[in-house]
Amino acid sequence: MLPLLLLLATAPGADGLTSIDYVPTLANETLEGRITTSTFVLEQPRCVFTDAQPGTHIWLVVALDAAAERFDAGTMPETPRLAFQTFPSNTAYATLGTSIANYPCPPRPGDFTVLRVGSETACRSDPNRPSCNGPLPGPGPYRVKFVAWDNVTAQAQTHWSEPITLKTALQADNLPVTAGGHSTGMIILTAILSILFAVLLACLVALLASWCSNSYGSSSIFSKPDAVTVRRYNTHHVYDQPAARL
Amino acid sequence: MSKDDNSVHIFQGLLILGNVVIGMCGIALTAECIFFVSDPHGLYPLLEATENDDIYAAAWIGIFVGFALFSLSVLGITGVIKSNKTLLLVYIILMLITYAFEMASCITAATHQDFLTPNLFLKQMLERYQKMETDNNNDKWMSEGVTKTWNNLMLQNHCCGVHGPSDWQKYASAFRSSYNDADYPWPHQCCVMDARGSPVNLDGCKLGVPGYYNSNGCYDAISGPMNRQAWGVAWFGFAILCWTFWVLLGTMFYWSRIEY
Repeated sequence: MLPLLLLLATAPGADGLTSIDYVPTLANETLEGRITTSTFVLEQPRCVFTDAQPGTHIWLVVALDAAAERFDAGTMPETPRLAFQTFPSNTAYATLGTSIANYPCPPRPGDFTVLRVGSETACRSDPNRPSCNGPLPGPGPYRVKFVAWDNVTAQAQTHWSEPITLKTALQADNLPVTAGGHSTGMIILTAILSILFAVLLACLVALLASWCSNSYGSSSIFSKPDAVTVRRYNTHHVYDQPAARL
Repeated sequence: MSKDDNSVHIFQGLLILGNVVIGMCGIALTAECIFFVSDPHGLYPLLEATENDDIYAAAWIGIFVGFALFSLSVLGITGVIKSNKTLLLVYIILMLITYAFEMASCITAATHQDFLTPNLFLKQMLERYQKMETDNNNDKWMSEGVTKTWNNLMLQNHCCGVHGPSDWQKYASAFRSSYNDADYPWPHQCCVMDARGSPVNLDGCKLGVPGYYNSNGCYDAISGPMNRQAWGVAWFGFAILCWTFWVLLGTMFYWSRIEY
């Protein structure tokens, strides 16, 4: 039983395609732009199509999650059935077709081993570029797989990836803008300054009231003449000198 | 008699000292507020676009109050030396008016500081940065101010957005309606620039590869100077007013003791 299952796993499928046991994955998590609202980043299929002949082209197929199962891997890329421009009404498109030589195995040090899906904006309405790697029209979810083609037929395909859902932008209108309340510092500052100002005003009023009542001769707050009073400062003390000095 | 004269002279000396300190603090307040009003960090357009620039109003009041304090302290010193009731009464009344203005400035600065939150600047950035379809001249002026200020901020402080580049992905914005997401997941000012002012690696920046884009937010670069301005105006003014309170009380007491 087991050898038969192993044979089935690597044997050509019903439509003549070899099924490769590889699930396309999103790129390493340290990329900030791993998933945006219209693009996502996949790991390149390095060391995946190990049996491919030189001259094989590897295509990426992007499909709506709901329609992934209906996809026929034998459909030729760069034809209207797999054109980007009519996606999503044709439920899948093929893009990023490149020679297997661009995915050397093992990866050279310093290589970016990622594929950005959705980076070409110039050709998204150009019907002459059906394999355009255009930005995705909605948040998805999408599934992707890699298909290997020689010049005429499809040779091999990987499994479908897990569903990829893109980000959705929130509206900024609902952002709460006001702070929670007043800070402690501000309340203390206001309270202390108000009290000080009130005290000063009260003193001024009391001062003026006593001065007015004093100048009109009626009884005042400071009825007892104080022992220490301030004299007008005279620069010359000549008039104060006792006569004996002479 | 001499002992009483001595205590009078000591009191006069204290009042003169108090007024000298007020005068110097007044000059310091004027200088500090001129510094803030000159907007060395170029953040004024952000406040202007919130239509509430109270901390700048408080700084403007501070300039004039500082100068008034200096002038009145000179008047006060003259009044105390001459023991002139009229001069001192004028001094007290004008000082109280100046006190009221400075109080307004301090309270305004302290209140407005509570208003400056990250979400305020985030919402403003999302609504105004690179806004192309403006309703009227005022809207156009404010949006251009915000755009220019943010571009300068992001380039000079090597930062992106309020919390980070994810602000541009998480929220819809005026920027997003003019610049598509695939080419501009975040503004190109968030990319690490070379000496000529162009991105070192634009693809790396768009992908978000660490080292090719600025991942930290600009909120610290905005709130730092603004908080320093609010605190500088509010609490230095508070300190001056606390000192002035005692000098004024002393002057009023002195005034009540002067006999013609």
